[in-house]
Amino acid sequence: MWRVKEVGHKAGRHGGTLEQLRLKRRQQEKSLRQARRDRQLVSKRLLHVENEDDSEVSMDAASEVEDVVGLLHKLHQSGPDKEVNLRAMSKALRDPSTQLTFIKQENSIHLLVGLLTGSDARCRLLALQCLHELSHSPHTSVSLTCLPASSYLLTYLSGQSTRFTELCLYTLGNLCPDGDAVTEKLLAQGIIPALANCMESQRHNLAVVEAAAFTLSQLLQTRTAAQNIIPTVLASRLPSLLLSVLTPEPEFGPAPAIECAWCLHYLTSSTKDNRELLTGGALQQCSSLLGTLGGAVTAGKRDEGLELLLCPLLRCVGNLLCCCPVEELSSQVGGASFMVTLCAIIHTYLHTRPSLAREAAWVLNNATAHCSQICSALLSLNLVPALINLLLFSEGINVMILRTLANVAHKNKESSVQLVEHGLLAALCTTLKMADQEMVTLSLEVLFLLVDGSSKIAKEFVRQGGLALLEVIQFNSEREMRERASYLLHQHFVSYDQ
Amino acid sequence: MLEPEDMKSVGFGACSVSEECQTEATEQKNPFNFRTEVFHMHKDHHIFEDGDIQRHMYLQDLYTYSAEDATTLSVSELACHISGCSGTFSTLEDYEHHYNTLHRHVCCSCRRSLPSARLLDIHIQEWHDPLFTILAQRQDMYQCLVEGCGLKFSTSKHRKEHLIRIHKYPPDFRFDRGKKEKGAQELKRQQPKDDMAMDVVQDVCDSEGTCDLMCNVSCSDQLEPGESMETQVLKDKGDGLPSSASTEDPSTDAQHRTALKPQYSYRVPSTVCFGHGSVRGFRGRRGRRK
Repeated sequence: MWRVKEVGHKAGRHGGTLEQLRLKRRQQEKSLRQARRDRQLVSKRLLHVENEDDSEVSMDAASEVEDVVGLLHKLHQSGPDKEVNLRAMSKALRDPSTQLTFIKQENSIHLLVGLLTGSDARCRLLALQCLHELSHSPHTSVSLTCLPASSYLLTYLSGQSTRFTELCLYTLGNLCPDGDAVTEKLLAQGIIPALANCMESQRHNLAVVEAAAFTLSQLLQTRTAAQNIIPTVLASRLPSLLLSVLTPEPEFGPAPAIECAWCLHYLTSSTKDNRELLTGGALQQCSSLLGTLGGAVTAGKRDEGLELLLCPLLRCVGNLLCCCPVEELSSQVGGASFMVTLCAIIHTYLHTRPSLAREAAWVLNNATAHCSQICSALLSLNLVPALINLLLFSEGINVMILRTLANVAHKNKESSVQLVEHGLLAALCTTLKMADQEMVTLSLEVLFLLVDGSSKIAKEFVRQGGLALLEVIQFNSEREMRERASYLLHQHFVSYDQ
Repeated sequence: MLEPEDMKSVGFGACSVSEECQTEATEQKNPFNFRTEVFHMHKDHHIFEDGDIQRHMYLQDLYTYSAEDATTLSVSELACHISGCSGTFSTLEDYEHHYNTLHRHVCCSCRRSLPSARLLDIHIQEWHDPLFTILAQRQDMYQCLVEGCGLKFSTSKHRKEHLIRIHKYPPDFRFDRGKKEKGAQELKRQQPKDDMAMDVVQDVCDSEGTCDLMCNVSCSDQLEPGESMETQVLKDKGDGLPSSASTEDPSTDAQHRTALKPQYSYRVPSTVCFGHGSVRGFRGRRGRRK
């Protein structure tokens, strides 16, 4: 069972100093980033054995190899110590080189599958543990050896043993990234209905729910998911099951909700048409949970699970907003508390997790783009001044925030006036000096929105010394900027010479 | 920078000065095209990179909540928007200082930057006011540069001597340049401070002496601290003649750009000026903006 709070302990268990660990993490992060750029970002999960004595002396490689071969031999002979041997085997198979030896032995997998489907319950579990270790290998030559067991694994999903079901699920989940042939086979064997049934029948067993959602998330990230998998998933009960797990304050911990939220993210981000999910209440549910989490966000307590959950929720909301009819938008997202939470996320994570702040800013843009009610809420909830302060920051956050403010200014003249009262003009005097061309061009657009038709605002801009900035921009090398600055000067500020 | 897939980007192209001037001055079309937009982000979009990495670090048991790993978000960089100037700054203070030092008090006609409003006034008067030359033949017109002195001299040479003798200006203070040759002389560009190179229109002033006081047009690399001005770059027109209208082919600008600033084709026309005390020019007595 995975629980976020245990992660730290597990990491430490593998030995090494804190510095080594940090170095390893940084290297791993680097390789993950490269993998993502290559569209090869995959992860497998290893379910640790509970109640195990981890302080046992590790044997040297040679004796372990001998051991595996010896153990296999004994197991083939169906002796009385099957269980003991299997347990030893599953421990031995944690080592990658042992794994390689194992799969090279004749009938080794066949043996495991036989034990997996045999009459001895404990041996079934232990055999499954062996397969699970193999499935976790980053080498497909090793992990794919488990594929013959897949039909059994799927069958066992409707069983009642928690531990056993979890192991089946994680093993299947680990196999999903191993190629198109795997996904084809699993789909043919009915993995989607199996997952749906499992999640439904086991919905009170959150460890199993977490495992099932993880496996689904693995499926949804495969190369051909958009064409082959997602339509089937959308047609099943899985979306509503996933949404039902998004309930606030789970005592179990956020892990199941995290997995479900990521599944929903893959569903909403793979295609633009999310109307099915919308009618299923996805936007409402995700926004509602976001709103509830807002309290934890503003409380500022640093909670690992919180960030892991906020991220996919934000993404779902952001993408679902694209196909939500404007007249329903405000009611679906839950109005005020949602806006407050969004802004709280931006401010809280601005320095610690800027990517999260940036994604929240993107959602804010999508919420304000077409919906006047949301724009008014932004003003009436007095969220604007704090947003204006954010215009200074880089890494794309200020662009999205400025777009949001532009959305508000775009609504009506009254909004423009209020924005100016909150200090937007002064902020523009700074943003117009920025190196980021997109920011400068957008600032000019916003300025136009504000002064167009309002001589009062135009005068105020002049009073704040803004004209000099426009004059400078008139001679910038970018034509987009020149045109806009020039137009403003000649059409809107021509009579304001001091 | 964010590039949401649905965000429009308007292309731009080079155009010659006269065309640009005309477009902007007379038939200005509204270039503003902001539209409120929602952006759908695909799962592979780069905006999701950091979050995805965090997710997978968690899956691979590498997730950590270490405070030391927290990144600090940087404040957006500021940049000088004057064409040809590639200054970038991290604080408003730096930006203001840069702008006030190098872009204020710019002569509209020859685009030289002067250190103060007063020196700009004197420069404009002595270089660009046709009346000045005429009056100078009959009366002392060359003002002492030192504020409060009030003395005037009949020639710039006299003024220079006065500055050295009375006000203890250094003798090698750029006095001794004669009347500049226009056009044919290609001035070498000096390694500028703050990585700046200011472009100048061919219409360079031709009054004597004083301009050397105030403008760094020499090849010497000595710059008085209080007199730091930009390097002026004259284009070699080849025919040796100055031109009063700025219709030079923008493409020949290329040779004068530093590697730092990307090449561009827009030139500042002499007829258009900044107003409000930052750049002034001589257009009759009042210098009102067109």
